[in-house]
Amino acid sequence: MTRQTEGATIIAASVLAAFGVTLVNLATGGTLDAQSGLTFLIFVIAFGGIYLAARTWAPRSSSLLIAPVAALAAIGFLEIYRLDPARAALQRWWLLIGAAAAAIVLWLLSKGTTEVLRRYRYIILLVSMIFLLLPNLPQDWAFPLRGLEVNGSRLWIVLDVEITSLQFQPAELAKLGLVIFVAAYLADHQHALRQAHRKVGPFQFPEPRQLVPLLFAWGLSVVILISQRDLGASLLLFASFVLLLYATTGATGYLVTGGFLTVLAGVAGYYAFDHVQRRVAGWLQPFEHFEDAGYQISQGLFALGSGSLTGAGPGLGRPDLIPNAETDFIFAAVGEELGFAGTIAVLALYALVIAVGLGIAFRSRDTFRKLLAAGLSFVLGVQTFLIIGGVLRLVPLTGITLPFMSYGGSALVGNLVLIALLLRISHEEAK
Amino acid sequence: MNGPIRRLALGMFTAIFALLGAVTWYQMVRADDLKNDPRNARPALSERGKERGLIVTAEGDILAESVSDPDDPRNFIRTYPGGPLFAHTVGYSSFILGNTNLEAAYSNELRSRRDLTISDLVAVILGRDLRPRSIEVTLDADLQAAAYAALGGRRGAVVALDPRTGAILTSISSPSYNPEPLTGDDADAVWNALLVDPLSPLSDRATRELYAPGSTFKTVVSATAIDTGTAGPETEFPDPVEFQLPGSTATISNFGGGDCNDGVSITLLRALVVSCNTTFADLAIRVGAADLGITADALGFNTDLDFDWTIPQAIFPTNALENDPAALGQSGIGERDVRATPLHMAMVAAAVANGGEVFSPYLVTRIFDADGITIESFQPLSLGGAMTTTTASIVGQMMERVVTEGTGRSAAVPGIRVAGKTGTSQGSGEFPNPWFIGFAPIENPTIALAVFLEGGPELGESATGGALAAPIAADLFQLWLQGEQ
Repeated sequence: MTRQTEGATIIAASVLAAFGVTLVNLATGGTLDAQSGLTFLIFVIAFGGIYLAARTWAPRSSSLLIAPVAALAAIGFLEIYRLDPARAALQRWWLLIGAAAAAIVLWLLSKGTTEVLRRYRYIILLVSMIFLLLPNLPQDWAFPLRGLEVNGSRLWIVLDVEITSLQFQPAELAKLGLVIFVAAYLADHQHALRQAHRKVGPFQFPEPRQLVPLLFAWGLSVVILISQRDLGASLLLFASFVLLLYATTGATGYLVTGGFLTVLAGVAGYYAFDHVQRRVAGWLQPFEHFEDAGYQISQGLFALGSGSLTGAGPGLGRPDLIPNAETDFIFAAVGEELGFAGTIAVLALYALVIAVGLGIAFRSRDTFRKLLAAGLSFVLGVQTFLIIGGVLRLVPLTGITLPFMSYGGSALVGNLVLIALLLRISHEEAK
Repeated sequence: MNGPIRRLALGMFTAIFALLGAVTWYQMVRADDLKNDPRNARPALSERGKERGLIVTAEGDILAESVSDPDDPRNFIRTYPGGPLFAHTVGYSSFILGNTNLEAAYSNELRSRRDLTISDLVAVILGRDLRPRSIEVTLDADLQAAAYAALGGRRGAVVALDPRTGAILTSISSPSYNPEPLTGDDADAVWNALLVDPLSPLSDRATRELYAPGSTFKTVVSATAIDTGTAGPETEFPDPVEFQLPGSTATISNFGGGDCNDGVSITLLRALVVSCNTTFADLAIRVGAADLGITADALGFNTDLDFDWTIPQAIFPTNALENDPAALGQSGIGERDVRATPLHMAMVAAAVANGGEVFSPYLVTRIFDADGITIESFQPLSLGGAMTTTTASIVGQMMERVVTEGTGRSAAVPGIRVAGKTGTSQGSGEFPNPWFIGFAPIENPTIALAVFLEGGPELGESATGGALAAPIAADLFQLWLQGEQ
């Protein structure tokens, strides 16, 4: 794709968002109002802004990333708008903030290079750990920065500004910082990691001492996440970590150990936590637990089935019957209103973004950039698989957001910064 | 490092293909099972959720209205402020049972048109209005209520027309039912209870059930006789105790037995006034099935009326009667094989009232949009003349005498010239069915009606149209003509 067609595709995605909003308006109110124009404008400004920033500060970057992300955001946005117009208005602001953050990252890295990230890896780790800890701040103290518990998970911080308050999930940014740190650490120690193998059966394992600091950092972050009861994010981080280790070393033992640890944690979690037991029951037999644990999954499947091939049409289905449709179950909402046509389009777009990300990793010569691009792509891929797979009952539902599509400001900002990092790496690695 | 990354990429795409397989399974293979799962509220909600337009009378009485569901602002609930009064005309719109009557006939106009997405977008850009449309009906709420009250829960029907246009002023079937519970979640249970009710409240006796019209059919025989010159009001007929049907051992006798006049002769006028069976059996045979059939057909018998729902054909079996004078004689008094709905008999009265010209009965006058602007209006449809103006005038005067001095005296209204004809049909049932058809005022008729009561043990074996049906007509004439003044 040339830069020109990329720009045209971004405009097309903006038209898609505005058209979707128009159809939703027609279906529910029967009027055309400023929402369509406003949506078009914000999408053009946000993704056009990232596009211009990439042209300016990373001119040789991949031209295949921004447009599919814009299309995913457009499809997600029309469902958020359909489910909750007030939240959609907030999401538009978050889109601008996320685009600004992505542009700033592109600008900052054009001053140095991604080497800056590698150099400051321990500071990044420290900041990420602080970010992860922030939600554990007291909920009710006088300081304007407070923790907040939502739906039993302690993931939020609240920043009181004058009369209003901003809510943010710092883990969404910490996720990026941790991937950067792990990529840098693995790049530093790749030789030691790859040479010191022990063979156990068909699998290769590294010397344990090589991994002590890494395991410590990761164990801590995972413990924090579990203490905040965000099982989806901790599973995501752990999986990304294991995949990166395997990518660095090629030692299949990591995959085996990682899989074993995941199952072990899952079994332990099953016996330790009631809510994990309920989730497993709702996953295995959603219709038998229709009244409680299986209700959300059942409604999601009803939505998908009712959508069938072409969907009910924007605004004409009832995705509002699915609990948390605009966050965890946005994929089912798309399936109901845009049908199978919409869901395969969404899957194809994710496949494209992940393929481009992995392609950047594949072509990178520098180890750090290679591992960073791979790690970022794994985060996107694993997150997409965990939540869509949860909706489709391939894996237990973990309650994380669908990148670019779900309602949620922190996730949108974090994921747009992730795209900015991938763009920067592709620029630096291009000849 | 590229080796492991390549293998991981392969794994990721395998995972995405697994997602693709799963979504195909749920959206394509299992779609119908999931959609039709009884716990999936979507199919029902999609019907219930939709707003429908108003059904109103010309006076502005609301007969059907969609109001926001207090429990779910996205949804609408269909309400029928008239309750049972309009169940057989307006009908109901139920997300479980579907739509009936006007709710079905005008469903396309009444429904919200916001679901044809692409064409809707074009329509809105072109400035079109997608809000549901409303319909205005000819029914008069006061007359409807009075008719229902007069029937008093007895099985029967009243149909009143404006003879000048065919506009249906009243169409009521008794007993009726409240349509509102049928729009809710319990529709099936309510429906099943109505279905087994021995008084069959779901039956529309006004427009969907055929009954033997009995002596009210003598107006049709009279009109044909005068039209064809076979007889006039003063034509003398024999006045026997029994009329021997030709080619048959059966006889026709008069109500209560005996002769009708003096046992020697009787004029046609007098025969209608006292509803003399022997005279009309005789006359029907003299006029002949062919000419009677022509008049009956012109009055809407043996034809499909152009209406909002299918009205059964009123029956006058002309061909069968041409070679069967005995049956023709019995048909002359509205028995044997003659059948009509109360609506058809109201049309007969309306034709006489309107100088012989028959108008197709109709319920809807116009369709209007959410701003009250008329989208489409319906003009009265003339079906042509069933008798000459002179004949209509003569039959009308004869019918006035029925009310002033004959069997229809209880239809009289002080100060108003009323024309009418009673009937007490046997049909195929065990008990007599009282009838009355008529119109008023004679000098400029504005209402023509048919009152019918279904015979049964509660009415008894001696129920007559004059005693039971005519007083209902008097009430309605009075109410209508007072209201007009």
